[in-house]
Parts: sequence; C-alpha cells; structure tokens
Amino acid sequence: MDYSKQIQDIAAKLFADGKIDVFVGYRMNGFDDNQIPVVITDPKEVSTLVFTEKSVFNLSNYLKADHTRNKRAGLVVKGCDSRSLNLLLTESQVKRDRLYIIGIACEGVVDDKGQKMQNCIECIVPDAVVYDEMLGNPQGRKDYIVNADIKALAEKGLVERREYFEEIFENCIRCNACRHSCPLCYCAKCCIDQETASLYNGSNTASSAFHALMTWSLHLAGRCVDCRNCEKACPSHLPLHLLHKQNEKVIFENFQNHLAGVEEGERGAFYKYSLKDPDDFIM
Amino acid sequence: MEEVKDKIVSIEKPELLAPPDWKPVIVGILCNWCSYAGSDLTGTSRTQYPPNIRIIRVPCSSRVDPWFIIKALQTTADGVLISGCHPGDCHYISGNYYARRRFLVTRELLKMVGFHEHRVQFSWVSAAEGAKFAQVVKKVTEDVVKLGPLHLYKKENFNK
Amino acid sequence: MSFSTFVTDKAGLQKMYEAIISKHETYAPVEKFGKYDYKKVSSLKECDPDSPIAETMSVKPLFFPRSSKIMKYEATSAGTSILETDQDPLTAQRVVLGVKHCDARGLQVLEAVNKWDYIDSDFLKRRENTVIFSARCDKAGTHCFCTSLDYDLENLDALDIAVVNGAEGKIYLQTRTERGETFLKEKLEKSTMYNVQSTNDESEMKKQYVAFAASFRLKMDYKDINEKMAKRFDSPAFEEASRNCVSCNTCAFICPTCHCFKISDEKIKDTGVRYKSYDSCNNVYFTLEAGGHNPRPAKYRRWRQRSMHKFVYYKERFGVNLCVGCGHCAISCPVNISIFDVVNHIASTPVGS
Repeated sequence: MDYSKQIQDIAAKLFADGKIDVFVGYRMNGFDDNQIPVVITDPKEVSTLVFTEKSVFNLSNYLKADHTRNKRAGLVVKGCDSRSLNLLLTESQVKRDRLYIIGIACEGVVDDKGQKMQNCIECIVPDAVVYDEMLGNPQGRKDYIVNADIKALAEKGLVERREYFEEIFENCIRCNACRHSCPLCYCAKCCIDQETASLYNGSNTASSAFHALMTWSLHLAGRCVDCRNCEKACPSHLPLHLLHKQNEKVIFENFQNHLAGVEEGERGAFYKYSLKDPDDFIM
Repeated sequence: MEEVKDKIVSIEKPELLAPPDWKPVIVGILCNWCSYAGSDLTGTSRTQYPPNIRIIRVPCSSRVDPWFIIKALQTTADGVLISGCHPGDCHYISGNYYARRRFLVTRELLKMVGFHEHRVQFSWVSAAEGAKFAQVVKKVTEDVVKLGPLHLYKKENFNK
Repeated sequence: MSFSTFVTDKAGLQKMYEAIISKHETYAPVEKFGKYDYKKVSSLKECDPDSPIAETMSVKPLFFPRSSKIMKYEATSAGTSILETDQDPLTAQRVVLGVKHCDARGLQVLEAVNKWDYIDSDFLKRRENTVIFSARCDKAGTHCFCTSLDYDLENLDALDIAVVNGAEGKIYLQTRTERGETFLKEKLEKSTMYNVQSTNDESEMKKQYVAFAASFRLKMDYKDINEKMAKRFDSPAFEEASRNCVSCNTCAFICPTCHCFKISDEKIKDTGVRYKSYDSCNNVYFTLEAGGHNPRPAKYRRWRQRSMHKFVYYKERFGVNLCVGCGHCAISCPVNISIFDVVNHIASTPVGS
C-alpha cells in the first residue's frame, strides 16, 4: 500500500488550481520508516508527502486546530479516519465544502513493531466512506468481529476483571493525551477537567482516573470509530480500546447494528432511539 | 432491612469485610413526572419500604448523564437506582427512549470494569405505581445487602 | 572524600540487589502493559533494573509525585478548618535501582529550581534520602542525545553509584557522591557474598563510555543552540514546527525535567483535598486567566514557551539546560515529533525572516 505519488500529484494540482490553502498528510521523519503528520501551506513541500502502511495517525484530528478550522483543507483519510471525519461533518464541526478529501481503500496499517494493528485486523469499514477521490481498490464492508480482548475478559470472573481494570486505572498518569488526540473530542472545555465541578479530578489517583476514563469513554460511546489515536498517545500504553470496544459491542449488538460514522448524516447511537431497544434489564 | 447479617463481604473485593453496623446506601435518581410522583404515592399511601434510599429528583430520566452514576458510585452509594416513566409515557415524549440506550451501555461498561450488575439498577415506575416503587426499592436494597459495601474507586476525601 | 571503584560480576550484582531490596525500601522499574515505571519492589524478580530506555518512564515522580496531597480541609458554614496537612514525605533512606543517567541528571537540573525563590524542602529531602543506582546504558536509543548536552556522563554526580558494564561480564560499581560511598562501603563490609573487589583500573570503564558515546545517532552543539534560539523568539519557524502538534501534553508529563504543576481541589460536600499535580504549558488552559484573557492563545506560542524554556530561559537563570536529551518526549509523542529535530530546525532558520 503506497499511494505517495498519487497523493503528491493530487495535492500539487489542488494547490495549483487554488482549491485549498492547507494540505494535511504524512511525511517521513527523516531517519527511520516512521512518519510524522504534516500540515502543508507551501506548494513546494508537496513532494515530501507520503502514504504507506506506516501512516497510522488519524488526520481528522487536525481539522479542529487553528490552522485548518477556517481554511480550505485537503486531507488524506483511511477508512476509520473517514468515519470520524463523517461524524465531525454531521456534528457541524467542519464544513464539507471547505474540504477536499482523498479517501484510501485501506489495507491496514502497522504499529511500531511492524505488525498489523489489531483494529485493522478487526476492521469493518476499510474503505473511506466520505471522499472526493478514492485511491486503491475498494474492498467493501466486512463482518463485525467481537474484539478478542473483550471476549477473553467477558469470560473472566468479576474479581479478576476488577483487578485487571484496577491496574489500568492505577497506571493512568492523567495527562489527558487520550482526549487531546481523539478526533471526536472537540469540546472547548471538557467535562473531565471542569474546575467548577465538585468532582474535579486533577490528581492521578486510581479513583480520579476511573472517573475521567469512564466518563470520557461513555461520552464517546456510539461515536468512537476505533482509530486508536488514544492508545497511540498514551504514554503508559494502557489498553484504552477495551472501554471503547465494549461500548461498541453493546451498541452494535443491541441497537440495530449501529456503527459510528458509517452512514452519511448519521449521528452517534445516543442521538436516536428505536422502540425495539432492549428493555429486559429494566424492572 | 435494617438488620445486617454477620460477615458480609464486598463482592468485588472479597478480602474486605463489612463492619457489623454497615447499612447500604442506595442513591435513587428519579424522574420528576412519574417515578418521583410514584415514590410520593408510596409515602402517602403509607407503604413501607427500606429507608436506605436517598432520592434525587431530575426532570427526566434522560437528564441522567452516565457521569451521575459514576459520581454516586465514587461517593456515597453502595448501589444506584434510576427510575423513569414507562416507555411511551415520557412527559417529554421520547426522553426515556434515549435514556434507555445510555443505561444499557453504562450498565454493561460498569459490569466490564468489575462492578456487580446489581450495583446499578433501573426501573420504570409510573405515578400510579406506589406499590411497585416500594417493591423496587426493597429488591434493590436486598440485592445490595447481598453484595456488601462498595469499595471501588471511592474518593479519598469522602467521609461517609 | 575520595570516591572508589569496585568490580564484580553479574551474579554478584544480583545478590547485592537482592540484599538491598530485602533490607531497604527499594524502587525499580516494574513492567506493566509494556511500559516500565518506578515502583516499590519486594523482590528482584518483579523488576528489571536494566529496562530499555524507550519503554521506561522517568524517575522524576519518585521525587516530584504526579500528584501530591497538600492538605485535607473542611469548609462548613461554621468556618474552615484544616484536617490534615502534607506529612513529612520521607524519613528513612530509600534506594532506587536502574536509573538512567539522563533521568538522574534531570533531578540535578530540577534541584536548581527547587532551591530558588521558594525552597521545595520535600523535593530536596526526598533526594537527600535516596541512594540512586544507575542503569547500565550500553547503546543509545533512537531518540537519545544526552551526550550532546551540558553534562559529563563519565563523571555525572547526579547519581550516587554508577553501574557500568566492562569486558568479559565484569561490572564496575563506581561511587559518585558521599552518600553513595557510605552506602556501598557499609554494604560491602557486612557481606563478602558479592564477589566485589576494589580496583583502581578505570580504563575499561572509560572504554565503555567511549563506545557508548560513539553509538549516538543524534549529535548537536548545545552552546550553539542556546545562542541561536535566544535570537529567534520571533521566528516564524515556531508556527511551522508546531502545526502538527496535537497539544496532547504527553511530552510534559513524562519529561524528567518539566516541573510545572497545577493546584486543584477535589471537594465533596464539606470536605476537600487539595492536590498539587502535573500540568503542561502546552495545555490551552495553562495560562488562561480568571478574567478570560489568555496570554498564549495560539498553539505555536505555547510551543515556543516550551522549547525556549528548555534551551534559553532556564539556561539564563540557572546556567543549565532544562533538557537532558533522554528522548522520552519523542518516543511518547503520538505524532513522532522530536524536540531535537525541531530545535535544530528552528536554530537553522535565518534570524528575523
């Protein structure tokens, strides 16, 4: 999967036609095969753009930054990235007519060790769902697979699960990198650091991490697109996907196979309801 | 329900024993139009129910952010009861349908991270169901007594 | 007081570590989710004093905790009373195993700011009561550039006992401070199990340091950088360099020298706890004033503050760089930004362009 040449050509043409002010893509970091996202305003820099299976970071995160918010931007999106972009569009955070989107029919990206990322193995929507131009051969929708970690955890006992998650919350250093790197966390003031809230959490105790991560993941439930930006940003390497995948599984199984950001104009799972939603857990 | 049996352990942390005078605290978050009125009816019709519940009134069950549940569990509560109007009866037409989705996801996530499923319970109680409210509170209190005190992620500064 | 060097082997060192762990309060890198963090250990099996630098958190939280309780208070209508205050953080001696040279240097750098203006006695006391064993750094990591900064690895006295690999499985122990000297001497007097011999031959240690210094990919001239950065406050390169930063703050939280903090209250009903916990100048709220004005509203200004503080302001005030070249920020950065690359790039741009 190498679309560097095509992306360079498209970006150069967009700049030449005056269609965009900035282009968001990836470039090599200059010494090994890892890549750095790059926000280009100068058409001369177009030749540095690359796209390979090392292009991991979800670029739709940059659309909430100052450089791109009110500009005409071109960007590259993989399947998962396009889902989060789709949600940003639906939630009126970015304007579609300001964007030129290069969609990728993604074959999966790899992590630092060169292994295919777990979310790519379990990917349901590999092709970009919102795009102006598509690169690669579309593979179509795949079947939903329940995350292997979730399956394994569900089989464990209550005490074992509690112990496992306690370790996660104890190792959280509360840097909030997960939130900042999440493309869908765009609130000007996040509820987990509201200083006026009486439960404000500045400390890195397990109870404050529990509060912050649980609240955060529940606010992303039905919207999380499993791009794993949060996990990539986490300095403690916490398996944050467990919280999101658990929510995703419950939502997919119970709410008419809802998947976040797949359909155009469709909002998160909590913005709608069905009369047939499960009711048996309520007395 | 005032009496608590000897040797009650916390189900999530079996190594911890409940003190002999432990009484569970249930936080009840009730919707203004149905469940709160229902609980009122329970009182006016003099139906007995366990005194362990502390009731908070909210405009609608969809006002309940999952955060409220988390906050309750991290502070006072050994168990949480959330109650609203029956489906179709919502004062705001569809609030409880939205709430229902959130409740399911919250409940499943709390189960996942190691809370017993009976810690957080939900019910539909209408304004006419005073007897049902008493029953629900009785059941929730009984369940929580069996589970023992909650010792997960409690706030350090919280003095019960 | 003169400092001494000893030579031992791997088995001897392990035995010594075990003896230390059983007798003293010991902290060492413990692996969890693929990341090592310094935690209290009760046996050598739990920890790995030679943990890889790329996967190891800084040792800073042992001296400047990620969040520390300042006080617990009660505020009622009758008045406010303080229930508890921060207790003496450390009285007994403790030992930290496997500290990287750069991390230890970070503590030394932080001492300057903790002794200036307000004297942070907690930090200083913690440092005073701690004996630091260094890790055996053999090969530079991808993002390491500690040899390019203003300290001498070979004679670094930020650590108490340096552990250095020699040829043929030999391991050298060199004391660097009085604290280390007393501690090691006392240990060696009590037991002869550690195969330790005193030695004056330091040539092999030197050789190891030379080989180590040769393995670095990144090299720079810090004096040049200090000078050039000081002139480039208005450089547009900051704006360009900060564009791909997502302001996630990870770099500051894992940095061995960042020392900004926030004070926050966690209050429920009448009682509250006041915490001092880490903060980052990359955070948009960091400089937000109560009136709503933010002196550093744009990302590049916050970014400039961070890099200028590391290489210019701290140097002007205390004479040392606030960067120790550990590369933790580059390793943890979700978008792979390296402070080395960025600072060098900014220094290379023309002034006032």
